[in-house]
Amino acid sequence: MRIRDVVIGANASMYYKLNFRKIKGVYYPRNTQEVIGAVKHAQSDGFTVTPKGGGSGLSGACTGGNDERVMISSLQMKEILTVSKDQGYVDVQPGISIDKINEFLNPMGMRFYVAPSSRDIATAAGVLSTDGGGNDTWVNGTMRDNTIRVKMVLYDGRLLTIDAKGVKSNDPDLEARLNEIGVTLHDVASSHGTLGFITEMRLLIRPVVEETLIGGLAEFSECNALGKVLTDMIERTSPVRYGEAITTAHKDVREGFDPPLLILEFPEENEVDIRDITDYKPLDSKELARMKDIRIKLPKRNPNEGVQFALFEGYGFHGDSLLNLQDSLNEVEALLNDHGMKPFGKYGHGPSKWYLGDNTPTYGLILHSREIRPEGKTGEELLDTVLAIVDKCEELGVTPKPEHKWPFSDAVKKKRLDDIRQVIGEGFNPFLLSPECNDVLGSMV
Amino acid sequence: MSYEKCVRCGSCLQFCPMFDATGEEQYSPRGKAYLLQVMDQIEDDEELGKEFRRLLFQCSMCGRCEETCSSGVDLLKVWHEQRAKAVETAPEEFEYLEPLKDALANVKNIYGLAEEDRAIYWLDELEDEIPGLADRVYEKGKTAENIIFVGCLMSFRSSQIDVLRSLFKTLEKLNIDYLVMGAEENCCGHPLYLMGDEKGTLKLREHNKKVIEAAGAKQVITCCPGCLIQLREHHEFENVEALHHTQFFDRLLEDPPKYHQTEEFSYHDPCELHRILDIKTEPRSLINKMGIEFREMDLSCCGGGGLLRMTDPNLSDLIIQLRAAREKVKETTVITACPSCREQLLGQDLETKDIVELLSSSLEGGTE
Repeated sequence: MRIRDVVIGANASMYYKLNFRKIKGVYYPRNTQEVIGAVKHAQSDGFTVTPKGGGSGLSGACTGGNDERVMISSLQMKEILTVSKDQGYVDVQPGISIDKINEFLNPMGMRFYVAPSSRDIATAAGVLSTDGGGNDTWVNGTMRDNTIRVKMVLYDGRLLTIDAKGVKSNDPDLEARLNEIGVTLHDVASSHGTLGFITEMRLLIRPVVEETLIGGLAEFSECNALGKVLTDMIERTSPVRYGEAITTAHKDVREGFDPPLLILEFPEENEVDIRDITDYKPLDSKELARMKDIRIKLPKRNPNEGVQFALFEGYGFHGDSLLNLQDSLNEVEALLNDHGMKPFGKYGHGPSKWYLGDNTPTYGLILHSREIRPEGKTGEELLDTVLAIVDKCEELGVTPKPEHKWPFSDAVKKKRLDDIRQVIGEGFNPFLLSPECNDVLGSMV
Repeated sequence: MSYEKCVRCGSCLQFCPMFDATGEEQYSPRGKAYLLQVMDQIEDDEELGKEFRRLLFQCSMCGRCEETCSSGVDLLKVWHEQRAKAVETAPEEFEYLEPLKDALANVKNIYGLAEEDRAIYWLDELEDEIPGLADRVYEKGKTAENIIFVGCLMSFRSSQIDVLRSLFKTLEKLNIDYLVMGAEENCCGHPLYLMGDEKGTLKLREHNKKVIEAAGAKQVITCCPGCLIQLREHHEFENVEALHHTQFFDRLLEDPPKYHQTEEFSYHDPCELHRILDIKTEPRSLINKMGIEFREMDLSCCGGGGLLRMTDPNLSDLIIQLRAAREKVKETTVITACPSCREQLLGQDLETKDIVELLSSSLEGGTE
């Protein structure tokens, strides 16, 4: 065992205590050929393969569980390959971060419109693998809505190109079989590295929109009122360009603000429409930038005493659970209290959009959650809490982990991935689909 | 433990020069913090421990990770503590640092040269050009308002002579009341500090403090940000202000003559100067006052800090090579204000000038 085999386990989830001896190789390929080489090593020795991007995700998928496995990092595949302003796309390697893509596009007046808060480190392929979004998902969609096609290396070394219509492959038989079962980009989205290693992506880019935006801060006495405002915005398809809610935040990091609150940015011409939905205090550009900064740093900052951690990173409130947001949150908080958890913060994108396992788009509030890391809890106890939250979500009509819904729920998505893996092979990240997944994750907390 | 606060978000990866150069996570701040977080799982493995200890010294201590960290992890402090622990745990793995430690203990400079030679090399070179320079060297009983702390690099390296020449010429031109510590100067202790050897620095600091105070100096001035960290933060002066030379001259000169600019300049801001000492405005202010046009380089490390030149020279070279290529500085003269950065740049055959060289040239009549 070498230190690079240990360090590859570094990731932002609470699943970070890996059995390092099970890691049988770590690769940082720079191109498709090197990916194929790494996969071949795994295949010839009977190891599974776990792809890893920036490691900023919270699902634990990039750990690879407890299989004897080869880890392939995309962090050295970070090139921009081609760009077509006229046709509105950029071809990139999988390990480039969203910020780097936009750094490249900005001078030409173009933009890639997906903005997860971890966009400084989250890789393009990583964001697709969780189907992540950000504060503008409501307007611009999730990663799958902004991906035109991907190229992928499978466990047996065969290559696939997948877009919204179907699959192309260097193996006509494989191509036919996958198209027969209707494989599209929807299947790659949120697949958490269980299908193959993405080597190239064509992403949708659009001109930077020149519009005058207004900043505003809506404050609420309780969260049902916030839920009602978000519901109205969804019903009226309000053109909110940036909408971030904070329902609770630890006093050490909220900089004097008193949640619940909603930070908004919208076009000037929609001022009356927004005012009709909610009262808000206008924010000048400096104040708005400050609020955005407070929000974006919430997942990283720590209280003066203790350390924050992501027990259960997100809740998707929609429909009745959004209208009754305070009631829903009370139930979640009660459950967390019962399990000995101290809340640190709940904040997230609203209005927003996410997809369910059957690819149905859903609209609501994605509320991220952080707790203060409890002392003396075993991994098993923490995972039990997680599973109890999943049950509670189902009872309340809340989507558990709307951006990272995998691997705790969503039987539809699991079944679909299983079906596809019957055709392409099962060598990538199998632990996520195994019945032991929960036990394995529990052992890594 | 501060490293426990690391949420492993990975934001530091994009800024870490070690990760940039190597592309592998073990060199990154997140990777190292993670190793500390899982140490209970790996500490029995001797080879891993050895590798980890080596990794701690594969870092330029530029502090960019700490600056980037939103989780409040005091990363520089962590690296200092862990370096100290590494040397204490396995001194045999750091035998290559022993000659440096011995030199500092015996002759109080990093090169192991005779103490009295500190003022020999540059004095030989500059004495004719700058009359009376020998009288500026401190001896018991001499006093002055300002005292110059030259530092080991600039005392002994011929590559630094142009900076010293400019510094002394500028001081003379401006009629500054100054002395140079000369043979009475001890190393500031920065190399030991970077090894985590706090104890080893005490004697050196004590001596310097005594001399500077005996000279009656109100200000101690140095061109070296590493020395300045030690002088300002650790020498515990009561009535002496430690200044970088750019601070000193910027305060003094409202409107220096314009520099006759014929070349393209870029500015490399030394990490220890802007990030650790928080001296950001004065160097730029001085350059601007001379009417010099320049472009800012990335606020990234040159690879010359943290003892990296000694602990992993190849990695140190790789960092500056990558930056030189990426930032296209071959065609420019790189302005900087740190002798270590200067060595890094010269090592890659890049043209470089310290800010005081530009100032000296302006004062000597380089006006348009």
